[in-house]
Amino acid sequence: MSWETVIGLEIHAQLSTKSKLFSGGSTEFGAESNTHVDLVDMGLPGVLPVANKEAFYKAIRFGLATGAKINQTSSFDRKNYFYPDLPKGYQITQMTKPIVEKGSIKILVDDSEKIINITRAHLEEDAGKSIHDLFEGETGVDLNRAGTPLLEIVSEPEISNAKEAVAYFKAIRQLVTFLDICDGNMAQGSMRCDVNVSVKKTDASELGTRAELKNINSFKFIEKAINYEIDRQIRLLESGESVVQETRLYDSEKNETRSMRSKEEANDYRYFPCPDLLPVVISDKELMEIKENLPELPEEKENRYIKEIGLDESEAKIISSSKTMANMFEDASSKTNNAKLVANWLVGDISALLNRDNIEIDESNLSAENFGKLIGRISDNTISGKIAKSVLEEVWENGSDVDEIIESKGLIQIQDESLLEEIANKVIETNPDQVSAYKNGKDKLFGFFVGQVMKETQGKANPKSVNEILKKILS
Amino acid sequence: MTIKYKTIKEIKKMISSKVISNKEIVQEVYKLIKDNNHLNAFITLNEETSINKAEELDNKASDLPLAGIPIAQKDLFCTKGLRTTCGSKILENFIPPYSATVIENLEDAGCISVGKTNMDEFAMGSSNETSNFGNVYNPWGDNLVPGGSSGGSASAVAAGIVPGASGTDTGGSIRQPASLCGITGLKPTYGRVSRWGMIAFASSLDQAGPMARTAEDCALLLNEMCSHDIKDTTSLDEHIPNFEDNLNQSLQGKKIGVVQDLDLSSLDNEVIKVYEDSLKEFVSLGADLVDISLPNLSLSVPTYYVVAPAECSSNLSRFDGVKFGRRSANPKDLEELYTKTRSEGFGDEVKRRILIGSYVLSAGYYDAYYKKAQQVRRLIKNDFDEAFSGVDVIMTPTTRGPAFDIGSKGSDPIQMYLEDLFTISSNLAGLPAMSLPNGNLDNKPIGLQIIGNFLDESSILNFAHMYQTRTNWHLLTPEGEKK
Amino acid sequence: MDKKTVTTISYLSRLKIDGEKEDKIIKDLSNIIEFVDQLNDADTSEVEPLANPLEKTAKTRSDEVTAKNLKNELLEIAPSSNEDYFLVPRVVE
Repeated sequence: MSWETVIGLEIHAQLSTKSKLFSGGSTEFGAESNTHVDLVDMGLPGVLPVANKEAFYKAIRFGLATGAKINQTSSFDRKNYFYPDLPKGYQITQMTKPIVEKGSIKILVDDSEKIINITRAHLEEDAGKSIHDLFEGETGVDLNRAGTPLLEIVSEPEISNAKEAVAYFKAIRQLVTFLDICDGNMAQGSMRCDVNVSVKKTDASELGTRAELKNINSFKFIEKAINYEIDRQIRLLESGESVVQETRLYDSEKNETRSMRSKEEANDYRYFPCPDLLPVVISDKELMEIKENLPELPEEKENRYIKEIGLDESEAKIISSSKTMANMFEDASSKTNNAKLVANWLVGDISALLNRDNIEIDESNLSAENFGKLIGRISDNTISGKIAKSVLEEVWENGSDVDEIIESKGLIQIQDESLLEEIANKVIETNPDQVSAYKNGKDKLFGFFVGQVMKETQGKANPKSVNEILKKILS
Repeated sequence: MTIKYKTIKEIKKMISSKVISNKEIVQEVYKLIKDNNHLNAFITLNEETSINKAEELDNKASDLPLAGIPIAQKDLFCTKGLRTTCGSKILENFIPPYSATVIENLEDAGCISVGKTNMDEFAMGSSNETSNFGNVYNPWGDNLVPGGSSGGSASAVAAGIVPGASGTDTGGSIRQPASLCGITGLKPTYGRVSRWGMIAFASSLDQAGPMARTAEDCALLLNEMCSHDIKDTTSLDEHIPNFEDNLNQSLQGKKIGVVQDLDLSSLDNEVIKVYEDSLKEFVSLGADLVDISLPNLSLSVPTYYVVAPAECSSNLSRFDGVKFGRRSANPKDLEELYTKTRSEGFGDEVKRRILIGSYVLSAGYYDAYYKKAQQVRRLIKNDFDEAFSGVDVIMTPTTRGPAFDIGSKGSDPIQMYLEDLFTISSNLAGLPAMSLPNGNLDNKPIGLQIIGNFLDESSILNFAHMYQTRTNWHLLTPEGEKK
Repeated sequence: MDKKTVTTISYLSRLKIDGEKEDKIIKDLSNIIEFVDQLNDADTSEVEPLANPLEKTAKTRSDEVTAKNLKNELLEIAPSSNEDYFLVPRVVE
């Protein structure tokens, strides 16, 4: 008898607004502790929340891009519980009337497509951070993050295995970054994920009891945690025991899931409408504006790159799949008229460097401007492709200007035909043995002559010209 | 020249005709406070700042509408740099780094906040017997309650210590003490006055308002208290009239709703007579009495005692000893920190209401209690909407009787809850309502409640002021009638 | 309203009722619940709940950072803090 897995994901994406969901506190990451805490974020007596419209706009973009229903009138509820990083003793969230309901997204697993339905996406405020390891016997609380807007995206329990879960998470991440609503930075916690996992016998009609794996931040860990949990549950059930409905944490070092304090389950959140916040209404006009200004999504970009720019399919696919790559491609292309060459380099040399250094393109020292210049200088024959590689290395190291590098290192390609002829002739004269060997059939020696000319010119000779000139002389 | 028992208007005249200096006024206030220490009306005094402000005004006169007027501020409003306790142990040393908008508005209008008045803890109570800082006494007797929760403010005004005070009203906490202390107090339309910096009890019911000796003074204070505050999204963005404009309008042909469903049978005959005499007075002023029905009125107290505790149980969760306020000593772990801090810091009434609130919101009970109560709330509001289509104001007694003895309501909380029988419904509907003195039984004052339509404080003030031009109840003091 | 219920809601509210006060609280709460049960008399079928007396919708704010750095003031009024954090007894996850 075989087992089936049922998985649902709850993804919390931090919306990239400048200020918080209910206050004018800054959402900037990495600031010194407790410096971005507004009176409202603190939950001091008498303070009141005021909703940030931009958060709604970003949430709506997500709804539109997933074909979801947008609730133009949405309201807020309070979720009541106690925790040190939850200043008010309740979180303001949207339980009854979320801004977005019922959408879907396409995922790709091993070349096959599957549609995963999204139950809802709602706005809520993030909590602060509890820091457990700094002090003996104490926990420190940093409220900088408290009040940051989150979009909680809940999938239907339609995911069947760890690979699909990762594909789904990746698809959502790609979507939110392309929509410019979340920076997708997993390391900084911009996207966190809770996974609900249960198993059942294939022929069983009812779902099994599920366990919730909390707060997993990396694709690798999601896959491992899910697989561990599936095993654990199957082993339990096969030995006649039952699965407890509980929250579990994933320990990446031990590669296991562990039950959290059971008191979590005693929590009755006592949701009720937040009396301080009247319902928020998005007008038809605002909705139309958001629709019209929706950023271009990967599939659209891919099609445009192929049809309008003439990129080949694989290049188009690679570049359009990452927002940062797509941005770089589009920016750099606008600075030169050789988009195809930009694409080549992006997919080739630059991708290699990105992989080597394990960074995203927007974390590199290469600006779109400079990249455009580099491609421009190749296109206008100022430098050869080979020289360009070394220029790129230099730019990559320290972001220096392409033209300055070419200038200071004297890398300008030698185009002067008469000069090249002179040098080529000199090479021919000083290598008579190789010349006769070549003329006697050793064709491979052509490369030797090219190499010699290049050596004489410190690699700056225009390879095409050198080839043509040598061919002429040696014929 | 004394300011004792003087109205704001009278004190303004004294200042402008220079028969008294601003400093002398403030100094006298503090002397009166000391002389009346037994009333326990104040929790924190603001002497140094107040004297300085007064001296400044003596050096350079100001034409601000409340320049130099000493006002007592209920200790529920956050005052920057000045201790704000909300009558609770859990905030016994809380010094807010910000002021409530109401405080700023009043101070921007020139008034001098002389101190923070005592109150029922977290505004929960109708007798000012639940304060961590001791009971407040009604100046009309030796052992009488002043009413609550704005007991300190009411007592201070009634004793003539200050001409005006700020109060808050969630179920009657301005009107009921005004009635028991023989002063005039107004709860504005919900949303007229910003709730920013006002420590929240029940967010959809709380409203700040003025307490003074006359309707005229209430109008003066209300003019300054009201504002549209972008920091409070429940603050109204409606035109704010000058509340003094219509005070003297004739009542000829105006309609007073008399509630048929009001069960007056539990009231003493003399209380009923006082009420009926007031209605007669209004008739002689030209108004007509119209029978109206508020069929769901009797459910207002149970509705309130589901909604208010539910909201407060959530609003008071922030008092957890983590970021501000009192924390219990040496908690061994987080759970103990929460539980000990809150159990030690909150009084019994507050605890009761938090527990009821958690109960009515809990899984399985939400629909039966909270949702049900909100539905009944809508019925009550609809009743008023219907009634106001035919009348200008509605009148009822404010309280079931005059002030009672401290400790006499015994240990049954419901007895105390029924004190708010007449006042609660206007909070549920968000309507403005006022209490003004309309009688005196055995040297104990009693009040008349005037309820107005949404945004119609002007009509209430008009009726009240005209009544006060014809009657002397508002001139009575514990020491006899004012000359 | 029995002891078990009171224990549960006390825990949810992080309140501890002392032994001797426990009976009174159970009695008080029972009476209050009985009192509010009157609400069942009302016919509320098809009635929309009223959460806030203002029948209007919320004003929102534009996405601007308006807050100042209040770190010192906030940590100063805290019951327990160091120069950087609010402090509570160690939380074990």
